[in-house]
Amino acid sequence: MTKTGMIDFRGVNKWFGALNVLRDITLSVEPREVVVVCGPSGSGKSTLIRCINGLETIRDGDLVVDGQRLGDPATNMTRLRTEIGFVFQSFNLYPHKTALENVTLAPIHVRKIPRAEAEQAGRELLAKVGLADKVDAYPAQLSGGQQQRVAIARCLGMRPKIMLFDEPTSALDPEMISEVLDVMVAVAEEGMTMMVVTHEMGFARKVAQRVVFMDAGAIVESGTPDEFFSHPKTDRSRAFLSKILRH
Amino acid sequence: MIWQQVQSLAGSYPLALRGLGMTVVLSLISLVLGTLLGFGLGILRTGGNRLISAAIGAWVDLIRGTPFLVQIFLIFFILPELGIELDAFTAGIIALTNLAACFICEIVAAGIRSVPTGQVEAALASGLSRSQRMRQVVLPQAMRIVLPPLVGQYVLLIKDSSVVSAIGLTDLTRVGWLVVQRVPNGLLVFFLVGLGYFIVCYPLIMLARRLEQRMGAAHGEVQL
Amino acid sequence: MLENFSFRTIVEYLPLFGQGLVTTVWLSLISFAGALAVGIVLSAMNLQRGWLFRVPAKAYIDAVRATPLLAQLYFLYFGLPRLGFVLPELVVGILALSLNSGAYVAEIIRAGILSIPRGQVEAGVASGMTYVQRMRLVILPQAFKVTIPPLLGQAIVLVKDSALLSLISVAELTRAGQLLASDRFMPAEGFITIAAFYLLLYYCLKGLAALSGRWLGLQPARSST
Repeated sequence: MTKTGMIDFRGVNKWFGALNVLRDITLSVEPREVVVVCGPSGSGKSTLIRCINGLETIRDGDLVVDGQRLGDPATNMTRLRTEIGFVFQSFNLYPHKTALENVTLAPIHVRKIPRAEAEQAGRELLAKVGLADKVDAYPAQLSGGQQQRVAIARCLGMRPKIMLFDEPTSALDPEMISEVLDVMVAVAEEGMTMMVVTHEMGFARKVAQRVVFMDAGAIVESGTPDEFFSHPKTDRSRAFLSKILRH
Repeated sequence: MIWQQVQSLAGSYPLALRGLGMTVVLSLISLVLGTLLGFGLGILRTGGNRLISAAIGAWVDLIRGTPFLVQIFLIFFILPELGIELDAFTAGIIALTNLAACFICEIVAAGIRSVPTGQVEAALASGLSRSQRMRQVVLPQAMRIVLPPLVGQYVLLIKDSSVVSAIGLTDLTRVGWLVVQRVPNGLLVFFLVGLGYFIVCYPLIMLARRLEQRMGAAHGEVQL
Repeated sequence: MLENFSFRTIVEYLPLFGQGLVTTVWLSLISFAGALAVGIVLSAMNLQRGWLFRVPAKAYIDAVRATPLLAQLYFLYFGLPRLGFVLPELVVGILALSLNSGAYVAEIIRAGILSIPRGQVEAGVASGMTYVQRMRLVILPQAFKVTIPPLLGQAIVLVKDSALLSLISVAELTRAGQLLASDRFMPAEGFITIAAFYLLLYYCLKGLAALSGRWLGLQPARSST
């Protein structure tokens, strides 16, 4: 065995029907590392991180997360998922639960933390993402940016080892993006292992150790944010960057 | 002559009460059993197992595709041939419960399917188990879709219970049929029978309507 | 067990079943036509602003929906002679089915009309159409489309409901099964056979509903009950 990171893709392939959506992905993410994944739509970047917590299954290759091999019968997927926070593009807050209930649901039912304790922790987390006054609000009463911050607090409530972000700001109005990014920066600075699918290059420059560029299901280029933004090596990454930087 | 008939009708009020009681008991028992069974079937119907889902679908189609009267006859006359002795009351309960379960199964399945996949994914991602996902995330949201037609289904069930009079159970409809043999005023007798059902069903119809309006306006979906 | 199940008897009774099936089909067709007529009148009354028409229509619809068809059937069967109308059972049955289903048809039509977005009405108003023109040119053609699948669902209900006419001795399909069951003491043969015939009708109508949905470019039909 070679050295294992927190997340280890080794020759991973995935098909949707005849479409090869992940091609020979090999990628290792170290503990406390922040990796930004970018690329044109349909490049497989969302699929990539959805595989990590088993929302998608892989066809062949190995994917080892926190020392456990996915698809291995010995791996308890439900248990593993409690170690991985996942933030969705469309937030997916539970509309029938308040902000606080969204945050405490899994800690109470999965972690079996006593309700009072979980609620105490939940309030602190909501305060941390700047929503102390929205504890009892329902998702429908919150703006998009507020909902996404609740969603991040919901993940943090499980004290995960890894956080995955699937285009967390692309469903937001422009003026709400920064409030979410600020929270993500704070989480990164606390030493969380993170994989973030995003086109927010400011965020990448600020906290990412590495940027991974994907196209047509394959990793085309990978390097530090400085290398990637200043000296993109391939035509495809140059074309991509010129498109998103023009915005 | 009308006066005589009214007196005669008044004399049969213990019978009428018994009939109403029978209708209520039949409906209530099969309503509770049918709801439990229907939710179970609905959850299995939308579960991963294709074989189970298809089998339930086929059974539901059989029940939806045949008249309830024929179902009652089948149960009441054929189960004894298979060696299962049962009285009219048990046969009625079985038939009504099965009918309710099949319709409720489809209502529940439709409700579950209406919950966005993102909700299930969010619950999966935070490590909730299958039953926790159902209980905490999917069913509470599905109920918004399920509740109005569920109440409507209860109305249908109460009305369908009148059909068990065909195998001789003395429910409200059967009482009307018995009384009309003695008091030859069908309009009056069955007006009163209808009134009995109306008193039970109408509030439920109103409730279903209210729910439909309320649920339509309730805590809207997460807006993107 | 059912080891004595006699296909021969079923074949012997097949003409009777055939007659019953034919009767069920045409009495359902007539009743459905009647239900459409009743439903159109009721929904027209129901859409009026004044209470004079709306209230009786609503009361009628609620009364029908809150009481069982069987009680309604007996109401007519035992009640009409008292008013001096002595009609054949078959006619009473068709009347009961039409009057009963008509109430549900009225609700379907109303829901169809209300499902047309307000913007459509406003567009009609903006282009200077009268109420009748808006109804005829804008609302009804669109409402017609969305009502077809639920109307076919109601037709399925009606066909199944017609089995109750056997209880007032109308010689339709269920009655044929009862005859076999009581003449030969063969309930299994009788009732399983008619169940199969009803399923045949059910799948025909269900297929039609699915087809109509596709023709009209709607979602797969959802039969309401």
